[in-house]
Amino acid sequence: MELIERYLQAVQFWLPKGQKSDIIAELSEDLHAQIEERETGLGRKLTEAEVDAILMERGRPVLVANRFLPQEHLIGPVLFPIYRFVLKIVMLCYLAPWALTWLGLMIYKPGYRAEQGDHWMVALGSAWGALWTTAFIAVGTVTIVFAILERVQAKSHFLEKWNPRKLPAVRNPTLIPRSSSVFEVGANLFCLIWWPTYMYSRVVRIGPDVRISLSSLWPLFFWGVLLLAAVNTALASVNLMRPYWTGRRATVRLVTDFIGSALFCWLLKANVLVGIAVVNVSAERTIPIMNLINLGKARAFPASVAVCIVIVCVDAYRIVRLRTARARLTLEAIAH
Amino acid sequence: MHGIESFDNLRLELRRGCLVLAVLGALREEQCGYTLRKSLAEHGLAIDEGTLYPLLRRLEGQGLLASEWRLEDKRNKRFYGLTGEGTQILEQLLAEWRDIDSSIRGILEKQGAGSWN
Repeated sequence: MELIERYLQAVQFWLPKGQKSDIIAELSEDLHAQIEERETGLGRKLTEAEVDAILMERGRPVLVANRFLPQEHLIGPVLFPIYRFVLKIVMLCYLAPWALTWLGLMIYKPGYRAEQGDHWMVALGSAWGALWTTAFIAVGTVTIVFAILERVQAKSHFLEKWNPRKLPAVRNPTLIPRSSSVFEVGANLFCLIWWPTYMYSRVVRIGPDVRISLSSLWPLFFWGVLLLAAVNTALASVNLMRPYWTGRRATVRLVTDFIGSALFCWLLKANVLVGIAVVNVSAERTIPIMNLINLGKARAFPASVAVCIVIVCVDAYRIVRLRTARARLTLEAIAH
Repeated sequence: MHGIESFDNLRLELRRGCLVLAVLGALREEQCGYTLRKSLAEHGLAIDEGTLYPLLRRLEGQGLLASEWRLEDKRNKRFYGLTGEGTQILEQLLAEWRDIDSSIRGILEKQGAGSWN
């Protein structure tokens, strides 16, 4: 019965140290009893294939041994949902911006592109490797922190001490905080007064000495901002009176934010600034300043696009959430 | 397929708790692991050795069972039996079992046939 000895030896390898011989003696006895009973029934010795089948039925040695081991885990069921949540945050707030920054550098910085191999596939390969290293370190660090927390929690049971009164208030996706509406009304009213007063002309004066000249595109931008400020003032005023989102108002917010974002990104791309004149300062000295401003605008463009996309996505998500909430309410009403 | 899997998992969960009771009940008479497994199977509660032996060790660790190695039919076998504490716990568990049984019967009788279909 060499096969049985080999099987038991394989099981023994995975067993806890102090109990190896005891468990193996018991398993061996059980196996021999089963085989003996089968042989008595058949009136002959079992063939190797039949012994093989009995061992197969009992399962892999590592699995058999595993049942004798104490249950262990790196992160237990109490901390695991928090661990998963933190990992998602890490992915969203660390790895996603990392990828976006890389994309921005590849598109807008030829020097970086050349450094990466100047070919998209080569650059993607090297970035993929770097991303994995970053992801591995981030996920590994979070896992180690949670494994330590698990050990601390097992000893101190700190997660068992909690107070229901300290739980956050029930979230209402349709509610608009009055404080944010007040702020919006104030900011947009200020814009409505300040903007036409100081930014109406294509020549903007800052004090008696500085004069900024803007391109012929400026009126388009000027009226766009003014119109948006007017619509936003009206929307914020309605929101102040009726502090909950409706589908119509959420759509207006999406449209104004989309137009505002497009206008802002376009301003960064278009060279609106055509000249700076300062009293008693030569043009030779003001041109580098102007170039620096235009360069800054161009550099800020990718990040601005990313921020604008996020804003528009948040607005779109609000509409989806409102629709879902309305559908749920309708279903509940039908059910009742 | 999903329904069969769900049933298997639920049945496993249901039997897991009952097995402790069955093992303690069967060990009111001293038995070795193999004969215990056979007697449980004969009563419709088949249990594989990978589940039985760790369970026996756990119950022994909790002081509910006691074991000793003895020679029988020319073979060294480990015999298990209930301790005084084990007997006491078995009585308590049986009382609990009867309570659960009567509660479930009550719930099912109250709801008629016990099925919504």
